[in-house]
Amino acid sequence: MSIEVQYRNRAKELLSNGEVKLVVGYTGGTTPERRRPVFISSAEQVDRLVLDDLCIANLSGYLVTESLLSDEKSVAVFLRPEGIRSINILAAENQLNPDQIVIFGFEPAGNTIKALDGTNALEFSEFVVSLSENPSVSDSDPVIEKLEKMSAQERFSFWQDEFSKCIKCYACRQACPMCYCRRCIVDCNQPQWINTSPHTLGNFEWNIIRAFHLAGRCVECGNCDRACPVNIPLRLINRRMAVEARESFDHFAGLSMTQEPVLASFKKDDSETFIL
Amino acid sequence: MSEQFEPKIVAFVCTYCTYAGADLAGTSRLKYAPNVRLVRLPCTGRISPMFILKALQKGADGVLISGCHPGDCHFTHGNYHARRRWTVFRALLDFTGIPTDRVKYSWISAAEGVKFAELINTITEDIRALGPFTQYHGLIEETQSQASL
Repeated sequence: MSIEVQYRNRAKELLSNGEVKLVVGYTGGTTPERRRPVFISSAEQVDRLVLDDLCIANLSGYLVTESLLSDEKSVAVFLRPEGIRSINILAAENQLNPDQIVIFGFEPAGNTIKALDGTNALEFSEFVVSLSENPSVSDSDPVIEKLEKMSAQERFSFWQDEFSKCIKCYACRQACPMCYCRRCIVDCNQPQWINTSPHTLGNFEWNIIRAFHLAGRCVECGNCDRACPVNIPLRLINRRMAVEARESFDHFAGLSMTQEPVLASFKKDDSETFIL
Repeated sequence: MSEQFEPKIVAFVCTYCTYAGADLAGTSRLKYAPNVRLVRLPCTGRISPMFILKALQKGADGVLISGCHPGDCHFTHGNYHARRRWTVFRALLDFTGIPTDRVKYSWISAAEGVKFAELINTITEDIRALGPFTQYHGLIEETQSQASL
């Protein structure tokens, strides 16, 4: 039985016996190679669910939708390993109650996908630990290596070129499961910290601050990168932050539901070589 | 003879240590470079990276952030939190190509008036040697907004 059929059946069962009120999954998109999120609330609709290797979006962001979980009913969600880590972070930051989330986990395996055992975020803890022990294959990104070899000036012009394309549509923020603030810093105008005009200076401010707010929280699901209409390589900057969190503070984002956020905790012996 | 470049430096300091240190430098009649503009904040933990960026965006050539030595924070651990933030923020600035040597960090206690005066002199010379932050000034000009400190 394929994993798609298996998960459809499970969704049907959970919906019909009322264990979950909603299933957040994937369905066919506008073109054959695209998948889009679908929200299934009745057992008759489960056939709309599609699951294959083209399902790449991290759906965990939908779980923090206002008042979705406030009735204490459960919601099922299709998640890749990154998505499971997102759930851990959201739980650690008190944004959701992990007991209300039923996970349909899957991970890529070559050109196909395979199911992950478990339904609750807790049951995946060993799996997530194993993820942190083998930093992903893509850890050494050729573009990052190229960037690190550049001089500061060259890097600046690289990002200047990239950020000058930004149109401040905030799709990156919208797509990101970690960007759940009711009022984003860029929407605050008393004082106006970030220029809202899409000039390069304002774009620098926006993208730097967003990356900073994601430092040690980003699970590199790639949602922002795919959402960007002008293809700014946002994953590079987020990966650099993830590397920094790991190297400086031995922090792997989303390791557990009790993990302290890296920038809201400290050790007395944190390195401080740069402080005069 | 061309005029010597006078860098604009913004210093974000904590009121309990570095600001008091600066005060001591003043009452001890120590001379230090007049290029620095002090911004007094309750704690280094209050210094958002946004402040640093904002200073650069408004035309500063350098930024200094200074507070109590670890263990001396008036609020017990504001500076420990700040230190983590700076580590990450520094990496971020470096990665986006904003020269990290334009943003300096230090611990200066209320008793270190001499250290304060010396530090201001050294960083003023350092930033002077780096010259004006033309990369950012170019971006500021593009916005056609007034940027003056």
